[in-house]
Amino acid sequence: MDNLEGLIQEYLQREAQSKTRRHFIKNCAQGMGGLALSSIFMGCDPLESPKKKASMTFSERDLNPLATLAPPFSPKVKSVIYLHMAGAPSQLEMFDHKPELLKLDGQDCPQSLLEGKKFAFIKGTPKLLGPQAEFKQEGESGNWVSNFMPHFKKVVDDVAFLKAVHTDQFNHGPAQLFMHTGSARLGRPSIGAWATYGLGSENQNLPGFVVLTSGGNTPDAGKSVWGSGFLPSVYQGVQCRSKGDPVLYLEDPDGVSRNLKKSTIDAINKINKEEYAKYADPEILARINQYEMAYRMQIAVPEVMNINDEPENIKQMYGVKPGEESFANNCLLARKLVEDGVRFVQLFDWGWDTHGNIREGSVDLGLRNKCREIDRPITALILDLKQRGLLDDTLIVWGGEFGRTPMQENRGNKKMAYKGRDHHGDAFTMWMAGGGIKKGASHGKTDDIGFSGIEGRVSVHDVHATILHLLGFNHEQFTYQFQGRPFRLTDVEGEVIKEILA
Amino acid sequence: MDVLKQLLGRLHPIIVHLPIGFIILGLLLRWYDRKRNEFDHAIPLIFLWGGYSAVLACITGYAQYLGEGYTFDTVKWHLWLGIATAVFSFLMYFKFGNTKTFTWVKTIPIVVMTLLMFVLVSITGHLGGTITHGEDYLVEPLPNNIKSALGFETFEEKEIALAEETWEEALIYEDVIKPILNNKCVSCHSPKKSKGDLMLHNEKVILEGGENGEVLNINNAIESELFRRINLPKTDEEHMPPKDKTQPSKEEIKLIGAWIDAGHPFDQTVQQSGLEKELFLSFFPKKQDNDYPEIEVAQAAQDSIKPIEAKGIHVDPIDKTSNFLKVSCINKPQFSDSDFELLTPLSQQIAVLDLGGTQVTNAIFEKLVTLPNLTLLKLDNTTISGENIEVLASLQHLKSINLTSTTFEEQHLQKLTDFKGLKKVFVYQTKINAKGVKTLKDGQITIDYGNYELPQVASDSITY
Repeated sequence: MDNLEGLIQEYLQREAQSKTRRHFIKNCAQGMGGLALSSIFMGCDPLESPKKKASMTFSERDLNPLATLAPPFSPKVKSVIYLHMAGAPSQLEMFDHKPELLKLDGQDCPQSLLEGKKFAFIKGTPKLLGPQAEFKQEGESGNWVSNFMPHFKKVVDDVAFLKAVHTDQFNHGPAQLFMHTGSARLGRPSIGAWATYGLGSENQNLPGFVVLTSGGNTPDAGKSVWGSGFLPSVYQGVQCRSKGDPVLYLEDPDGVSRNLKKSTIDAINKINKEEYAKYADPEILARINQYEMAYRMQIAVPEVMNINDEPENIKQMYGVKPGEESFANNCLLARKLVEDGVRFVQLFDWGWDTHGNIREGSVDLGLRNKCREIDRPITALILDLKQRGLLDDTLIVWGGEFGRTPMQENRGNKKMAYKGRDHHGDAFTMWMAGGGIKKGASHGKTDDIGFSGIEGRVSVHDVHATILHLLGFNHEQFTYQFQGRPFRLTDVEGEVIKEILA
Repeated sequence: MDVLKQLLGRLHPIIVHLPIGFIILGLLLRWYDRKRNEFDHAIPLIFLWGGYSAVLACITGYAQYLGEGYTFDTVKWHLWLGIATAVFSFLMYFKFGNTKTFTWVKTIPIVVMTLLMFVLVSITGHLGGTITHGEDYLVEPLPNNIKSALGFETFEEKEIALAEETWEEALIYEDVIKPILNNKCVSCHSPKKSKGDLMLHNEKVILEGGENGEVLNINNAIESELFRRINLPKTDEEHMPPKDKTQPSKEEIKLIGAWIDAGHPFDQTVQQSGLEKELFLSFFPKKQDNDYPEIEVAQAAQDSIKPIEAKGIHVDPIDKTSNFLKVSCINKPQFSDSDFELLTPLSQQIAVLDLGGTQVTNAIFEKLVTLPNLTLLKLDNTTISGENIEVLASLQHLKSINLTSTTFEEQHLQKLTDFKGLKKVFVYQTKINAKGVKTLKDGQITIDYGNYELPQVASDSITY
């Protein structure tokens, strides 16, 4: 009897053991099968296929994310220099001539204009403020330029004005984001990131998208205005400085020679290559590439960022101040960068927020100084690009994040210390010059006091569509798949402004 | 009760697939089994189920007809044929089953029965699909030429083609307005799909207007419903065409407005209508100003591009619509005359060549002649003096030469007058001592000497 019980015990134990094993193997098989199946299904998913196709064409780009790509359509320009006057310049003292406003100077602003409008600071009933500059028609085009920009009249026939641009943002940060990423909220790629993503960059030793700032401050919206958003981070703007080290943390640390650096990078890359052989992850190759690029940049960037070796007459024409941080230096650098094949150069000049609260921020005094700081450099930039045959394949865009009111600001319903104007997005001036642009054109018109656009109104999306068009893209087809849907720089809007195209 | 009717009705599109599946399965199985006789028992059963499910489909279908407000005329054929399909499926059951009823069906040949069954289920299904998806559901995606070959009406995307010489003789409606309406409106406003009871495919129906009356108001675009809707902002509910459809261009909208303002003439020529030329300018053929000739070349072989790129030279198509290439030596400053042989396989395709900052010398001109389609040439920052540049005169398409920062000599400038298509030459920072812009060959060639200056002005030194 004991014997029998022992046998039963043993049988049960065996059964339990075998069951466990069988169970385990069965589970395994199911798990593995499921894994295999999921990959098969993924391959079959019809929604997946366009994305897959895109990643196929870009797989070579994973290895070299800045490799040059052909645009879909015939491009008019290969580089862009975007000059942003951070703080919003007053169109009424620079390019938008409003003689009626002068006659109405000091009168109460009509209530009809104020209804339903939001201003950053204006309260109650403000008074109209006449233009503080004198205007003249310049060049063969007869476009208006104020005496705040005495040099600019020389190139007025090379630019095309947009007199009635409008934006829906009235605070600096969101408006700057909107102007550079097509959205007032964070997270979208900037125009320069889109351009380098779509076209790559020609010079293998330099970044494809360079940002230069001046005016003592960086834009209110922070680095997101040259960020890459949801695009791979390699497409974000690289901020270079005209004073001190051009690129921070690019210099070798003390006691590290270039040879040591080279062998360090070689060693790191060797390990990375072994990793790649093991896992075949393209991200590893991208990393190898980045190390090598940074190494090459160590030589190339200081070289291109050095303006001291430029001839004296060029330095004078731009009005550069070597060793300092200035808009003039940045303009000269912009030319050098474009000459060396950089795709997108973004200049930010801070200090245009002329509310009239301080002397520097007044439209009759401070603004005049700011205009003087950009007038000569911008004119020189256009002339210099022209004489080098570069203006034909470069696009220059000038503007702020919005414009300024025809009314004098009355912050807190009090008279301000100086003459100033509040933020205003209904109508402001931008201009473009360069390849594919109709020279001497002027599109759009504002009403008699420059409050609203009455003809040829264009939106920020329209400006973006036009920039992409000149680079050879249809803005409606240039998309990036993110969070399950294709994204565009122009969202669901934007029309190319044909009126300023040659 | 209404709720039940509607709910039941909406199950119809789901349930119909059951009888279709059963019947097709029965037919296929019957065909497969024609010699084997392995499924004798299964086949009648399948048709029995087919019959039952078809009855269910008929009931839900009838509920849908009542619940969704279809007219009897629309569903008539589908309804009768659906009932016929159900009846016929039962007959198939009796035909193949071991029953003693309806024995007369056993005398009908199998081929006739199965064929009839197949035709019935197909036609009924198709008619049902037509009710939900519309007449042209299957035809719509076909290309226009196939559509017209099949005898369907097509609305071609007719481009508005006006020419500088003949624009005044063009017919304002036939050649300009009609193509705009055809391309942007007629797909929804035609006999096929007259949304809002409005049709826009010919003069008569345009004048008739839609459910809200006339759409054209004589001499007044703003008051005309047609123009008002088109001219509304895209975000407006009433804007036409709907937001997600192809929109007319600004120029087209303007033109429609001007046409209505001019009394919407249908038979006049553009000249008679008195509309200004400016309105039509954007429809004139565009002068292409590309960086490559307006001819076609064969695509360059990838095998010949790869080795060039391996040397650090950029080779890219100028754009994705063209086979012409842009070659740049920006990353290869060592490039010298002898390296030119590398590019020989691409001689037909190279339209833009950037040799700026390389080691090339005057000897390069002899070689550049072998690039017949060269359009833009950059030789800046080289030691070129211009000796022998005249050989390039044979390049018909050459538009621009950049010679800035070279040792180019003035004596060679005159040779450029023999260049046929040359438009721009840049000679800043060369041996030539001049400034500004001058032209050659009666203004055809612009020579940019550069050396621009910005003299000081008084306000330069004033700080406010």
